[in-house]
Amino acid sequence: MHIPDGLISPQTYLPALVIAAPLWLVARRRLQARLGDEMLSRLTVLTALALLLSTLMLPLPGGTSGHAVGVGLLALVFGPWIAFLAYSLVLLLQAVVVGAGGITALPVNALAMGFVGGWTTVLLFAALRRFGEGPAVAIAVWCGVMSAALLLALVLGLQPWIAQGPDGTPRFFPFGPAVTIPALLLPHALIGAGEAALTLLVFRHARRRRWLEVPG
Amino acid sequence: MTHRARLCAWLVAVVGVTLVHQPAWLGAGLAVVLLASGRGRGTLTLRAGRAVLPILLVISIGYLVMGWLTAALDWRFLLLFNLRVLLLALLTAWMVRDVNLERALQGFPGAQRWLSIVRGQEAVLRRLATEYRAAVRSRSTVPPTLRQRYLAGAALALAALDKAVYNSEALTQGMRSRGAFDD
Repeated sequence: MHIPDGLISPQTYLPALVIAAPLWLVARRRLQARLGDEMLSRLTVLTALALLLSTLMLPLPGGTSGHAVGVGLLALVFGPWIAFLAYSLVLLLQAVVVGAGGITALPVNALAMGFVGGWTTVLLFAALRRFGEGPAVAIAVWCGVMSAALLLALVLGLQPWIAQGPDGTPRFFPFGPAVTIPALLLPHALIGAGEAALTLLVFRHARRRRWLEVPG
Repeated sequence: MTHRARLCAWLVAVVGVTLVHQPAWLGAGLAVVLLASGRGRGTLTLRAGRAVLPILLVISIGYLVMGWLTAALDWRFLLLFNLRVLLLALLTAWMVRDVNLERALQGFPGAQRWLSIVRGQEAVLRRLATEYRAAVRSRSTVPPTLRQRYLAGAALALAALDKAVYNSEALTQGMRSRGAFDD
């Protein structure tokens, strides 16, 4: 669900960078406090898995692309802060190694998918786990994907108002929320279901192998 | 120009392009990038096109249809939008081709380490997936059903994950024993 370069204005990505930068610092401190050899190896493998999943992209009418994210899995195994940092690294690698996604859109993508998506997954999982682990993981991951998609749809949909020329014509993304919200949410409802199934599979495996770094 | 300087120049150029709103300037920028990128510019253009063409087509066709329906079509915006996204993609494809990230990150051992580990792990996962797919195919002469494919896919993913974690643990211990984490 990345936003590529050129679709969002500096009036959007610069404030997003200002918000994301201190969050990256907090996440980095949390990672340094917990990082051991075992965690490092699991974190790099699951980060690489997220990178692999996010390279299989399908362009969507809303101006982004559809693909599995993997941030829900990272958040459930390592916690939301580390998931945010790891997914930001995935986005950075995609931008500078693969040339996909975008470096200017990185803070927006990281905040939406890594931060909002990760925290939504973890908080919902904590709230729903008394109804059973399987349904809790599936619902939490699906909602995490949808919340990130909704935020990106709103960011894109607000572009015609945020950045326009003197005559009122848009300078970046041209469609409003009436187009972007359904265009992103409908396909991501399906993508989120696939991601929920995949996450559940790997999460159960991670539990059996005692890879979970978060309590429970 | 050093690799770090190239990386910084790319960052400045990308941000600069988002501040330009004149199609003529963006067109000139596109021409300059094509001229300056030297031999292989055709491959570079194809690579950039492959990355953004689907998105550009979807958005441009959508804009044309909505403009036709509402009688509010602005060709200048369409040109500006397409030129900007294409120029940004071309700049990024050029950077990916000509910047060695390991060299650009010299002096930042932490960043270099993360880059190497994650790229290495991604390569391991890709190779394992290819190997397991070949193994599944080799076990049967008839094509697998959808259910068999899903089951094989799940088994493949978990086995590949185990193997990747094992490889990664060995790699981490090797790096630790050579003092890679001492700084």
